[in-house]
Amino acid sequence: MIYDCLIIGGGLAGLTCGIKCASHGLHTAIISGGMNSLHFSSGSIDIAGYDTKGEVIKKPFDYLKTMVKENTGHPYAKTGIPGIRGSISFITEKLSQEGINLNSNNDFNHFHITTLGSLKPTYLSQESVFSARVTDIVDSHEKLAILNFKGFRDYYPEQTAANLKKNRLFKDTEIILGNISLPYYMNTEKNLHEFRSIDIARIFETERYLPRIAEEIKKASGGATAVSLPAFIGVNNYKAIRKKLEDMTGKFIYEIPTLPPSILGLRLDHALKNSFINLGGEYIAGERVVSGSVKKDQVEFLTTRNSGNIPVTSKFYVLTTGSFFSGGLSAGFDTISEPLFGLKVKSDNKRSKWYNSTFFDKKSHPFLGFGVETDNRFNPVSENGKTIKNLFCAGSVLSGYNPVSEGCGGGVAVATGFRCAERIIKEIKND
Amino acid sequence: MIKIENISFDHCIKCTVCSMYCPVSQATHLFPGPKASGPDAERLRIKNPELVDSSLKFCTNCKRCEIACPSDVKIAEIIQNAKWNYLKIHWFRPRDFFMSRTDLVGGMATLFSTIVNFIIGLAIVRVFMHVFLKIPYRTVFPAYEKTTFRRIFKKELRWSQSEFSKKIIYFHGCYVNYNNNRLGREFVKVMNALGYGVEMKKEKCCGVPLIANGYIEKAKKNALYNISSLQKGNNESKIVATSSSCTFALKNEYSSFLELDNSGIADRVEFATKFIYNEFLSGNIPKMKPLGIRAAYHSPCHLERMGGVMYTLGVLKNIPGLELIVLNSECCGIAGTYGFKKENYDISLSVGKNLFTLIDKAVPEFVITDCETCKMQIEMNTKYKVLHPVTVIAMALDRK
Repeated sequence: MIYDCLIIGGGLAGLTCGIKCASHGLHTAIISGGMNSLHFSSGSIDIAGYDTKGEVIKKPFDYLKTMVKENTGHPYAKTGIPGIRGSISFITEKLSQEGINLNSNNDFNHFHITTLGSLKPTYLSQESVFSARVTDIVDSHEKLAILNFKGFRDYYPEQTAANLKKNRLFKDTEIILGNISLPYYMNTEKNLHEFRSIDIARIFETERYLPRIAEEIKKASGGATAVSLPAFIGVNNYKAIRKKLEDMTGKFIYEIPTLPPSILGLRLDHALKNSFINLGGEYIAGERVVSGSVKKDQVEFLTTRNSGNIPVTSKFYVLTTGSFFSGGLSAGFDTISEPLFGLKVKSDNKRSKWYNSTFFDKKSHPFLGFGVETDNRFNPVSENGKTIKNLFCAGSVLSGYNPVSEGCGGGVAVATGFRCAERIIKEIKND
Repeated sequence: MIKIENISFDHCIKCTVCSMYCPVSQATHLFPGPKASGPDAERLRIKNPELVDSSLKFCTNCKRCEIACPSDVKIAEIIQNAKWNYLKIHWFRPRDFFMSRTDLVGGMATLFSTIVNFIIGLAIVRVFMHVFLKIPYRTVFPAYEKTTFRRIFKKELRWSQSEFSKKIIYFHGCYVNYNNNRLGREFVKVMNALGYGVEMKKEKCCGVPLIANGYIEKAKKNALYNISSLQKGNNESKIVATSSSCTFALKNEYSSFLELDNSGIADRVEFATKFIYNEFLSGNIPKMKPLGIRAAYHSPCHLERMGGVMYTLGVLKNIPGLELIVLNSECCGIAGTYGFKKENYDISLSVGKNLFTLIDKAVPEFVITDCETCKMQIEMNTKYKVLHPVTVIAMALDRK
């Protein structure tokens, strides 16, 4: 045996599981083929946003109490409410050790503003997205300025403002639009339309531009007390940068997630990876697991793209390969399969039943609820119907929930990843 | 014509994650980033090769974009291909010519190593190189050995190898042959301790510096030579290399980039730590004495791309008394011959800055890394001595 715990997939679920295992001294590795979907996420962690009717949930844990009794196949029913709470406080603590503070609205959900200007309920957000000050600003209808970087094509403040105005919370709020720019561009050969959020984040990280940026913000925002920028206020030391800009401008600075790469998600990714590595975990980024060999009720070994005749083995394996986008599930013409182990998948065999006819359907799409079937311990079932005892599944590879229509993707990833880690730690201790 | 097997650019979903992790576009805005230079521009280049633009030269081929890509696009390979296949250069470039002819230069330099090492250390020569060859003044070239590793092997080491029934073939590469004989000796020692006799076949430079400098035809010649030489005679044994970039070339780039048939050797080529790891795994762990040192490990980009870091870590964690600090993965910026060129010098240092800070923060006694040019860059820019994992094992064996 090489590892105590080998995690396939390095997203939110895999990293949560890895950090928990490594913090208990387990020899843990994460094999991640390509960067995870935190790079495309809002950087907020939701637990339960909408109920079955599509209504916004105010207090997610209250809602879940009844939900888990009715829907026993839901991953939350398997982790249990205390399990969710435990995992959330664990990951919040780990993130804050790495310098990312996640705020929650006591036990209530709060909103974050999307690129398009709609409001999404969520549970945990960075301080530039949710704090007591944000509530104040919204409640007292303080004047807002929605700003963009001049020439940045991945964000349109007009759209955000127009949609925001439709919402009753912002109906009476005065919103002005504006642009900031930097003379810096005169000196580069790069066309500024080519800038992505990450390029601008790097400009913000350059200390000497900050006074100039602050001046631009002041100029563009008129008398507004709160300013929103697309989320690119630095990746690593964004807290200090934001603080400085707020001091220099005297305004509150809010961040709106951009098109990929999403800086808000990136901060979580970096912090979680740092935490994992600092605890002694091995993060193997340049490798892809190709297949897993299952014998009876055990995973024997994994084959990776480069492992050749040297199989990769571990005492326990965790499958956190994500959903269709990350390759954790794959769709054929009329079948959905799990490509690494050929696990039993819960889906519908009729292709026409995979989706609803409108893209932004309130009920989302059935295929988002497809995934690997597991027992209550998150052990999946192999092709020949046997439960695989040393393999656990977590995150969006699981079936039984719809991350979009329920608004619970982040919470399920954290809670299930954490629960799998707890099981593994327990089994290794019992050995 | 579009080769049907070469359409990985079509899998690009334009997520820009590669450009985020590109160390060069972090260092300079002159490089539009792997997404724009790779899959985006490839569509245009296929239509009209004149659309190749000069910013491609900034790419170091570190392959971090390929590691980051969630859609498995061979971004660096697309850029490398475009760089040299569309852009045929016919004029003579003295610096690039000699820099990429490691065999030729190394062979000559080892004959007169004392003089050569003295001369390239002289300020006046370095000024000359800075001005006329565009090799930055501050560059410290690795010293040349008095003899080649091949000669040492022939004279001293070869005789004791016959007592081992199990054999491996050692692909030493130019660095061990001309600049670091000691690593070769240590490798033989470690292999012997594991119960393997070492054989060597004739070899030429693997071609990595040739590819990087655009001498594709010459690289192909070398590759063909190596492929046929490594298959001669004993063609059962593993071919083990101590250089991560050589390994990547032999195993992957010969077929994927140079489009040659390396099927006879690809499965047998193994990077040293992976081979050793497998032996350790099957219980073949030689007796080692506790080292009592604290070292920081830097993972070379190309080893990461090969998925080889887990094996190096596995080996290092088996060495008693080695306190290991695993550094966050950062590119050192040298990228083979890239950082030895004046026009790239600032970029190269700017890329490496993060790594140097990490190393300084870790306050180790040594730095461990698998790649020879990473070693040069780290030794040039920090105060630490850099060891190869094989050296560390040999050190643990030493203290019997």
